[in-house]
Amino acid sequence: FRFKDSLAEDVRRADLVISHAGAGSCLETLEEGKPLVVVINEKLMDNHQLELAKRLHKGGHVFCCNCSTLVETLQSMDLSTLKPFSPGQPEKFALFLDNVFGFQ
Amino acid sequence: TGGHTTEILRLLSCLSESYSPRHYVFADSDKMSEAKICSFEQKRAETFSNSQFTLDRIPRSREVRQSWMSSVGTTLYSLLYSLPLTYRLKPDLILCNGPGTCVPVCIAALLLGLLRIKRAVIVYVESICRVETLSLSGKILYYLSDYFIVQWPELKEKYPRSVYLGRIV
Repeated sequence: FRFKDSLAEDVRRADLVISHAGAGSCLETLEEGKPLVVVINEKLMDNHQLELAKRLHKGGHVFCCNCSTLVETLQSMDLSTLKPFSPGQPEKFALFLDNVFGFQ
Repeated sequence: TGGHTTEILRLLSCLSESYSPRHYVFADSDKMSEAKICSFEQKRAETFSNSQFTLDRIPRSREVRQSWMSSVGTTLYSLLYSLPLTYRLKPDLILCNGPGTCVPVCIAALLLGLLRIKRAVIVYVESICRVETLSLSGKILYYLSDYFIVQWPELKEKYPRSVYLGRIV
């Protein structure tokens, strides 16, 4: 398919996700607990888009590669080495704001 | 826009009804945010009976990678819209997370504060995508906001005036 409103269903049914380094794609996949291989195309991307992908890679949450090393990565990767990605905690933000305004 | 809207709705997800009514301001060129916001507020109304919100559009301040010089021009144009809007809404709190749209709104709020018409608390939350560097909006609002929140420790180290709460979206 070319374009869907939401990939959530597809991600849930997948065993492995291979994606570009867009933040939404990466985070959606990690939150579903699916293994993720991020393909980076430095020529096409903003420098800042890389920041999150690199950080996720450094934290051991995703595998990274570029177009030419994708096949090699898929062949040699060990999914059991991936570290789980804990969800964000918006409740901490709520607590912070409540403190600012003096709400209980 | 897009990712920013998703992030800000997550930020709102745990807020109590003390933060009401909610006024959403977004770019006129944004086609998808309205649906996301309405969906979020509809769900919210299931839990909180008196939930209120409004939607307002302002001209987009800056396109991605737009040049510096023309960005100043388009931001000033957006400011022409933001001033009367902010004056009408007189918010107690402005919560923003990075799209260029937020800059003119915050500038308008600061002006209203200087003129002693209404003082808003400005809380800026930098996107989770920003690990090592701040967005342009972030760089502008780092000194202008009351609370500047970052989501990675690397940024807290570089910007000591910021608040680090961990990942919150």
